[in-house]
Order: sequence, then structure tokens, then C-alpha cells
Amino acid sequence: MITEPDKEHVLSKRMYKILESRIENDQDTIEALRELSTFYTENTLQARRNLRSQIEKRSLDINQNFLASFKAVKVSFDSVYNDIAEMNKSIQDMTLQLQNAKSQTKKLLQKTSALQEEKVKIELHQDITSSFLKSFQLQPEDLVALYGDGHKRDVPITFDTFRALEKVQEIHSNCKILMKAGLQTLALDTMEQMTQHKEGALEVIYRWTQSHCRNVDNPDLKDILAQAMAKLQDRMVFFKYVIEEYCIGRRSFLVGEFLNALTKGGPSGNPAPIETRAHDAQIYVTDMLVWINRAIPIEKQNLQLLVTSCTCENLDEIVNDALANICEGICQPLKIRIEKILIVPTQAATLYAVVNMLRYYKKCINKLVKGGQLEDTLTELLEKSEQVFLELLQQQINGLLVRVEAPPRDLSPTSAVSHLLAVLRDMLSTASMSEGRETDMIKIANAVLEPLLRAVNEQAARLPPTDMAVYLLNCMYSMYTCLSMYEFMEDRLERLQAQSDAQIDTLTSEQASSLVANLSLGPIYTILQDHSQDALSGVPGMEPSNLRNFLLKLTNLSVQPDSILLPQINLLLSSKHKKSVQKRSFALLLAIYKQLYEAVHNPANQYDNPSDILSKTPEELNSMFE
Amino acid sequence: MSAGPYNYSYIFKYIIIGDMGVGKSCLLHQFTEKKFMADCPHTIGVEFGTRIIEVSGQKIKLQIWDTAGQERFRAVTRSYYRGAAGALMVYDITRRSTYNHLSSWLTDTRNLTNPSTVIFLIGNKCDLEAQRDVTYEEASKFAEENGLLFVEASAKTGDNVEEAFLETAKKIYQSIQDGRLDLNAAESGVQHKPSQPGRNNLSNDQQANKDNCAC
Repeated sequence: MITEPDKEHVLSKRMYKILESRIENDQDTIEALRELSTFYTENTLQARRNLRSQIEKRSLDINQNFLASFKAVKVSFDSVYNDIAEMNKSIQDMTLQLQNAKSQTKKLLQKTSALQEEKVKIELHQDITSSFLKSFQLQPEDLVALYGDGHKRDVPITFDTFRALEKVQEIHSNCKILMKAGLQTLALDTMEQMTQHKEGALEVIYRWTQSHCRNVDNPDLKDILAQAMAKLQDRMVFFKYVIEEYCIGRRSFLVGEFLNALTKGGPSGNPAPIETRAHDAQIYVTDMLVWINRAIPIEKQNLQLLVTSCTCENLDEIVNDALANICEGICQPLKIRIEKILIVPTQAATLYAVVNMLRYYKKCINKLVKGGQLEDTLTELLEKSEQVFLELLQQQINGLLVRVEAPPRDLSPTSAVSHLLAVLRDMLSTASMSEGRETDMIKIANAVLEPLLRAVNEQAARLPPTDMAVYLLNCMYSMYTCLSMYEFMEDRLERLQAQSDAQIDTLTSEQASSLVANLSLGPIYTILQDHSQDALSGVPGMEPSNLRNFLLKLTNLSVQPDSILLPQINLLLSSKHKKSVQKRSFALLLAIYKQLYEAVHNPANQYDNPSDILSKTPEELNSMFE
Repeated sequence: MSAGPYNYSYIFKYIIIGDMGVGKSCLLHQFTEKKFMADCPHTIGVEFGTRIIEVSGQKIKLQIWDTAGQERFRAVTRSYYRGAAGALMVYDITRRSTYNHLSSWLTDTRNLTNPSTVIFLIGNKCDLEAQRDVTYEEASKFAEENGLLFVEASAKTGDNVEEAFLETAKKIYQSIQDGRLDLNAAESGVQHKPSQPGRNNLSNDQQANKDNCAC
């Protein structure tokens, strides 16, 4: 209340304050007045009296209102409070729960991390193991390559097989690294395993190769076969078995082919079967040998194809032995046929051609394959054919010489001798072009000449000495001229020459005797030889007239040297022989003349005018006979 | 005489004579081949063998004529006596008849060869001591009386075979050295250097003049 008169000073003070207060500035007052204006609308006494109650009433209302309102607030506030309390409780529960969960989770986490660590470790292990497996164990595809899938017996071999086998090998050698790393047991196990794989694989390869090796000429197979053989070298036993198997196959194949060529010929009979020409021994043998000589290189080529990738050191030997083995089959049919030829009587010359053919092809074939039954067979056949040939030759010769014919009157070699020499010439001409010609020619010459010389000697032994010498000389001259055309006959020729010389000596002596007789030189010669101290001129038969007569005869002879030659000398075939006999017998005469000349000119022999008796000096006479 | 391609200074010609079956061919075979020939056929006419030997450092080619012992070949074999530098006269110590014929063989040889020919008497088959029919002393005496060299030999075992042939060659070589054997006049001397293939000589005609001449 503002206007209330009260005690002085308080009043005054209030008064003052009221007075001093400027209503318009007091907000509250304004507000209050404004409020008052709302309900105090009329300024009446009543109104003035009631104002107060009215205000109080109004205040009460307001308080009541306020209270009611506040009561609602309180109610809601209470429910809020309840809610919050509840919330608090729940939260506390939750916190508790959380706390629990938290402690539980911690264990879990620990476990998890432990597991995680373990996982990492295990993963590492796994990596190691798988890479170990990769490098030290075979992959399934390798195993398939090695053993095939399923249980089929005949596993086809491919290049993968070899690759797998190489891997096995590699693993095996890698095990050494393992070994060095200290993993002995593992290494040894792996090695053993690999060895087993290798054995297994080799066996598979072996089985396959064994059954396919015959088809080495199949272009699809040859590379694989070659590689398989190269692998099998690791097990020489398998390798050899395969080669053996191969040999057996090829051997029977070759025999079959050979028999076909012999009896059936080529496709549709071209070329004709070899046996159709069996009647001609030379062609027959040649054809057979040519066929063999052509077949072996093919076999050799195939064989080499088979072992082309092999590297073992004695490969050449193995190939050669195998080839020899393959060729064994054809030995028997060849042998039977050639032996049959040797039994059938033929000409020695034909057989000689067969011998040469055998010798030539034996050499050719020997270049392709050394040793073995084929070579033995060929050697045997060669020896046999040589023997049969020489026997046949012998027979032929003996047949010709069976009768000891008397030499013809002209003392020329008998027809049998000439014929044999013609045979010899034929044979030597062939032999001189053949392989081992030296021994052949000597053998043939011996085979012919020995019996021939013997026969000639037999014939000659029945003749008188002069005829004998002439006949022998003529025969030996024919032999000499025949042989002198060929090489390697030096020994024979030397012997013939020496034999001829002996006969020339005989003839010379016969001729000289005949000359001495003809010129009545005998007594003169005897006196000359025996003469003693007596002067020769006094010896009967040494009269100058007689000596002059002798010189005359001698001079006549020098003009016509043929006149008093032995008739047989003219039958000598060789003019050289004839000349030699003549010359030497004359020389003998001249020697006697020389002796006589010297004796006559010797004063001791008391010849008057010696140069009148023997008017010619030995030198002059000599030149007359030249 | 084709002088072979070999180096030798002389050729000596030998003949081997004696009865049939005394082993002449076997001796030759033993000497040239150093082998015993068991089944030796009868010689027909003459056989021939050569071997080069060495005497006093000189190479000498022996040209040996092995004659048939059979009488029917006498005409043929006679041709070979001439010009022989050595004659090996063979008998069989187990067959006296072969020894008894020696004098006729010796006469033949003396008649048909020249005086310088070395004659060597060989008693063959000395391996058959048990069947001996001719004593060593007897034959030795015969040889001495006739101026022959003598040895008992065996073609089967080879005993003394080589020696007989070599001794003969030595003796001949010695004759050449002594000049008893004139090479140039050679007539029947029988050895020639291979360089002079021109024959030795007109030899001696015994036929008419019974005895030889010419040198």
C-alpha cells in the first residue's frame, strides 16, 4: 500500500519514497495497474468498498488456481520421479550385468587370441606341408601318368610318364638336401617311396615297351619307345629283356620275310621268288646274299632307332649283339640252300663264282654285323664251298688226266694238258679279280699244276731222253706262258724255269753229243783229253788232213746250222729254248776247237804250218756262229 | 732263273737222291717247313723246295730238287744232276737194301755232276733205333772211303736235318772261297750270283764221251 498515513518518520520516509517514485517508470506498478484496470471498471463507492475484498478474492482465486495447477505438476513430477527411479534401478541392473559380461568376455578374448595364434601357426604348417608335398611327393596327375588310372593292365605310356619319372628322380635326389637339413628319417622314407615309385614306373614302362618294341618303325611310337629305352637303361635287366624280346620278334619276322622272298617273291610276284632261279647256282646264291645284305641295314636302322636316346657305354656292342641275334634265324634256311647247291654237281668255275660271291658278301655283311651265327655260317659255307670247289677242280683235273696218253709225235703238249691249262687260265682270270686273290690264285695254280706236272712227268718218263726233254720243255713252256700272265706266280715260275733249265741242260748235252758224232769229233776229243808227251801230229787220227776236214765240216755247219741239229730240237715250241740249246751246244764245239787250235799251234806237237791246217782262229769261228 | 725279290748272294742247287721210300721228300719238307709230313705220297719226277740260309754272313738261296726214287723216273731225274752243287744221298738205316744201292747212286752222281759237287750221305730214320739194319760205323766207314760227309738224321724228329743241309752249304761256300769252284767259268759250278741270270753253261756231255769235259 502506498498511501497509508503512518508514524511520522516511517511514514514520511514512505511518503517520500512514494513521492519520489515515479509511477510511470515503475513497471510493476504499471503492470499492477493494468491488471487492476481489468476488473475495476467503475469507480463507485461500492466499488471502492469492495475493492479490497475483490482484490483479496482475486488473490485467493489466483492462489487456488495456482495450487490446483501446482498439484498436477506435482503429480506428474512424482510419476517422473518414479520413472527415473525405476530407470536407475534398471540401469544399475544393466551395469551389473555389463560388469558380469565384461569379465566373461575377457576370458573369451584371451581364448580367441590364443586360438588365433594357433591358427597362424597351423596355417604356416599347412603351407610348409603343402609345399613339401608339392616338392617331395607325387601329385595325383603324376601318379596317373605313372600307373594310369583304374587298374587296366596295359597302361599307355606317354611323355607325361617320363616327366613323372623324372620328377621321381628329382625328388629322390632332392632328398639329399633333406638329409643335409637333418631330416634323415623323412628323407629316407621319401627316398624309399620314390624308389618304389621308380621301380613301379620302370616296370610299367618295361611291360609296355616289351609289348610295343616290335613296332619301332611306327612313327607314332618311335620317340616314346626311344625314350622308354633310355629310361630302362637304369635297369639293365629290363633293358636287356626288352632287347631280347625285340630280337625274338624281329628274328622271326626276318626269317618269314626271307622265306617269303625265297618262295613267294614280292607283292603280286614281283620280284619273282628267288627260288625260281635255283637252277642257276650263281644267280641263286647272289640273290639270297643280296637280299640278306639289303635286309640287315634295315634291321640295324630300326635297332638304332630303338636305342637312339640311350647312352650306356657298351651300346655299340649291345646293338651288334642284338643284330647278330636277329640275323640268327636266317642262317639255317640259307645254309640248307647253299649246301644243297654244293651237293649238286656243277662246273668248278660256277662254284668258284659262288665262292667269290660268298666271300664278297661275307665281307659286306661283316661290316654291318660282327660275330654271331651269321658270320659263323658264312665262314663255314665259305670254307665248305672252297673245299668243294677245290675237290671239284681236282675231280675235273683227274678226269682229264685219268689216262696217261702218249705225247703226240710232234712232242707238243697233249690235248688234255692244253685243255687243263685253258681251264687254269679261266680260273686264274676270275681269281685275279676276286677278294683274297693271292691265296686263291696260288691254291688254284697248285691244284691244277701239281697233278698236271705229275702227269707230264709220267708221260715223259716213257720217252727216250731227247724226246723226254723236248716234251717236258714244251709242256713247261706252255705252263710258263700261261702263268706268266698273272701275279703271285713267282714261285711257280721260278720252279718251272729251273725245271726247264735242267731239261735244256739235258738237251744241250744230247745235241752236243750228236754234233760230236756227226763231225767225227769223238776220237779227236778223246786224243786231246788223253794226250801224253808224244807229239800230237804223230797220233793216228790227228793228221793235218783229218783236222782240215774237221774244220771244213765245222765251217759248213756255221753256214747251215740247222742241218745237223737233232730233229727233236725243231719241235721245241719256244724259240728261246731252241736258240739256247743250239748256242750252248755250239759253244761246246767251239771250246773243243779252241783246245784243238791251241794244241795244233803248240810247237811241242810238231805240226808244220799250223795256221794252214786250222786256218780259222777260235774267235773267227765264234763270230761265224754268232 | 728268276732271281726273286730277295737279297741273296748265291743260289746253290741241291739234289736229293736215294732209293724209293728212304724219306727224301720228308727230309726236304722238314727242312723247308720244319714239319714232318706223315703221309707222303711217292714223288713223281721231281719236286722242288727253296729256303734262304746264311753262311758266313752271306745269304744263300738253296734250290733243292727232290727226285723220285722209282727206277722208271730215272731218265727224268737224271736231268737234274747236272749243275748240282750239293747232292744229298739218302738211305734208310732200317733197310739194308737201300744202303747196298748207295754205290750205284754214288757212281751216277759222280758221272753226272762235276768233281767239286759236295756229296753228303744221310742215314735217315735214325729215330727207329730198334729196327736199325745198318750200323753207324759201317756207313761212316763207307763215307770216309768215298770222301763223303756223313750224318744220321731223322726227318720225323728233325734231328740233324738242318745240320746236313747247312754243312753242305758251308762246304760249297768254302770251295768258292778256296777257288776250287770257279764261279765265272761256272760251267757246272752251279752257283751264280742272282745278278747274272745267264745260264751256267753248256755242260758236260757224258753220253758220248763218258767223261765230262769242258772245264
